[in-house]
Amino acid sequence: MSATRIHGIVLAGVGGQGILSMAQILLEALRRSGLHALQSEIHGMSQRGGSVQAQVCFADTPLTSPLIEEGGADLLIALEPLEALRYVSMLRISGHLVTAEDPVADMEGYPPLEDVHRALRAVRGAHLLDTESLARKLAHKQAGGMAILGLASRFLPVPEETWREVIAQRFEAKGARIVEKNLEAFSAGRQLLPEGVEA
Amino acid sequence: MNQSTLALGVEAVGCAAFDAGIKGAFGYPGTPSTEGFEHVEAMIHAAGPDRVAQWASNEKVAFDLALGMSYTGHRALVTMKHVGLNVAMDAYANAALTGVQGGLVVLVADDPGMHSSQNEQDSRKLAEFAWLPCLEPSTVQEAYDFTLRAFALSEALQVPVMVRLVTRLAHCRAPFQRQATLPPIGVGQVPGNRVQDWVLIPSNARRRYVDLLAKQPRMREAAAELNRLVPGTARRGVAAAGLGRAYFTQLILEYPELAALPRLDVAAYPLDPATEEAFLAQVDEVLVFEEDYPLLEERLGLRGRARVRGRLDGAVPRTGELSPRVLKDALGLGALEHRTAPALDLPVRAPRFCEGCGHVDAYEAVQEALRAIGSPEARVFGDIGCYTLAAQEPLSAIHGVVEMGASISLAVGAALAGQKPAVAVIGDSTFAHSGLPALLTAVESGADVTVVILDNRVVGMTGQQPSQALDQVERLVLGLGVPASQVQVLTPLPSKHAENVAATEAALRARGTSVLVFRRECIQSLRRGVLKEHDRELRERQACPTCVPEVQP
Ligand code: SF4
Repeated sequence: MSATRIHGIVLAGVGGQGILSMAQILLEALRRSGLHALQSEIHGMSQRGGSVQAQVCFADTPLTSPLIEEGGADLLIALEPLEALRYVSMLRISGHLVTAEDPVADMEGYPPLEDVHRALRAVRGAHLLDTESLARKLAHKQAGGMAILGLASRFLPVPEETWREVIAQRFEAKGARIVEKNLEAFSAGRQLLPEGVEA
Repeated sequence: MNQSTLALGVEAVGCAAFDAGIKGAFGYPGTPSTEGFEHVEAMIHAAGPDRVAQWASNEKVAFDLALGMSYTGHRALVTMKHVGLNVAMDAYANAALTGVQGGLVVLVADDPGMHSSQNEQDSRKLAEFAWLPCLEPSTVQEAYDFTLRAFALSEALQVPVMVRLVTRLAHCRAPFQRQATLPPIGVGQVPGNRVQDWVLIPSNARRRYVDLLAKQPRMREAAAELNRLVPGTARRGVAAAGLGRAYFTQLILEYPELAALPRLDVAAYPLDPATEEAFLAQVDEVLVFEEDYPLLEERLGLRGRARVRGRLDGAVPRTGELSPRVLKDALGLGALEHRTAPALDLPVRAPRFCEGCGHVDAYEAVQEALRAIGSPEARVFGDIGCYTLAAQEPLSAIHGVVEMGASISLAVGAALAGQKPAVAVIGDSTFAHSGLPALLTAVESGADVTVVILDNRVVGMTGQQPSQALDQVERLVLGLGVPASQVQVLTPLPSKHAENVAATEAALRARGTSVLVFRRECIQSLRRGVLKEHDRELRERQACPTCVPEVQP
């Protein structure tokens, strides 16, 4: 019996940013791609503006552990740069980091933003995304999260069509325009990397 | 029918209860159990009028509602978090003696690591205490399957059956296969010749206790069907339950050499001594992986057959939840290589009040009033809800939080010892949960205490379920005997700060029990429109000339 390779994704952000919703999109997209996937999340007090973390793991055989360990993540997706830094040690040596640059700095002791960005850039293969200007460019306030997901999607074994299906279904109830806006943000993020860079 | 559904572990329990043909679901919100009830509630509402879902004012009430439904021969689910079972314990332990008629399943969600709880007690221990079966799933599929099985077992043995989850499974989202949904048809009410079983006067109770003990072998047999002995070639073995089992099963995928370890997979209790002996005969040393208490570890250790290692000898940390890392350390497997980021001091991002939350305005008024009467250092007793956040900086406004509803009695106890002023802060739903009897005693005691009720009209922290005391707080307070002259309803808004401080000051100076109701709806429930429909109906009723007008204190 040979060892099974289990892939991990850590999602980090601040309560209210939509981390759990993003985790659900990931889970569904992986599942539709024929993979076995699990997602874990922490509810409760974490929703009141505190740090929020979710994990998704997947493999080609059924999994039972909802948690991954340090060094078990192939991908770290963050919607806030300080929250990204908290989980860098979850990444494998070969892992990728995709994070928003824009801080949620409404707290005591937030380090100077340049220091946070510098620390993140020092992580090899880190992708920092200026979600604010992207949102302005797309005239869509909530574009950031979807663009981050789009960028991160380049590192996941899910066909582009599947992503689009899952996202469309997720926002279906909110109307065709919202679906369009989210797909547009997703594509914008996905196109930020040149072809072949994910290897 | 064999659909694949995607849900949280705790939701899978709710879904299974629905498919098992329950007539009703009852519960009190509490992380991480809340979504279990909400899931089955949504299914029940979508299915039409044949079934009911009802939040109760507390877990004991919820349990008794389920037991009453069981009496009529219908299946029922009751949901709560681990500390909620303490509240329901009187009902749970005695329902072991009455037994059940329709199947009764208790979903209890434990919180190892205390993600959002005040302790990490182990509900398996309480099932053992009550001489009742407990099923412990390790995956979302098992959460579903075991719940179906729990209903069948409950009816076969005529006892309540616990399904124990822990946070990580309760909030693990994964696909599972559903079975066909049974209609909510009951088995008929308790027959006449068994009515005495349900009347727990001593003569009946003695007989029923003997009956309960006589059911133990059948409970052990039922549990043994789920517990598995997996042979191996090594002399070191692993006994694992719940998430310990889930983590170990997956570690075998990553480290195939672990398959050589003989295994005792525990999924149900009470444990069968024969299984334990058979397992111990194969090993010299055992590592035990279980969430919360060293229950399995103690039992195996008592047999004296092998060296048993786990939380008691430090092979596993004595407190906190299990994780793959904890298991790997105990098994002597090395850590994975991982990235590091340049060192930077990362401040904790603590949860806090939502922007504009009325609780903050209420606390600020109370603190200023305490300063005004010359008691800025007064110790204030708090309670459980979003408002517990005030125990932290910058407010530091409450100085004791124990369990649901404790604040009022703590303040009365302190007042009776001479503390002045004695102040309790409690939310509206916590007040409904267990503050009501405490306030009655407060009035009776004659002690000088001020009870601040933060009425945000919902159970804010667990996701804004409607409060059972909705629109009734001051009527309840008056009904419990607090004189109308000592009850004030205030609006916690910055613009009303001065008048709120003045009113609070007057209450702090009053003799006997004084009550301040700070009422402003939770921002989150307002945003989501949770009470919109309710308020529209309320306005219509109030506009109707034949309806009784609302009582105002
Ligand atoms: S959820 Fe409601 S009660 Fe809780 S902090 Fe937010 S506004 Fe206040």
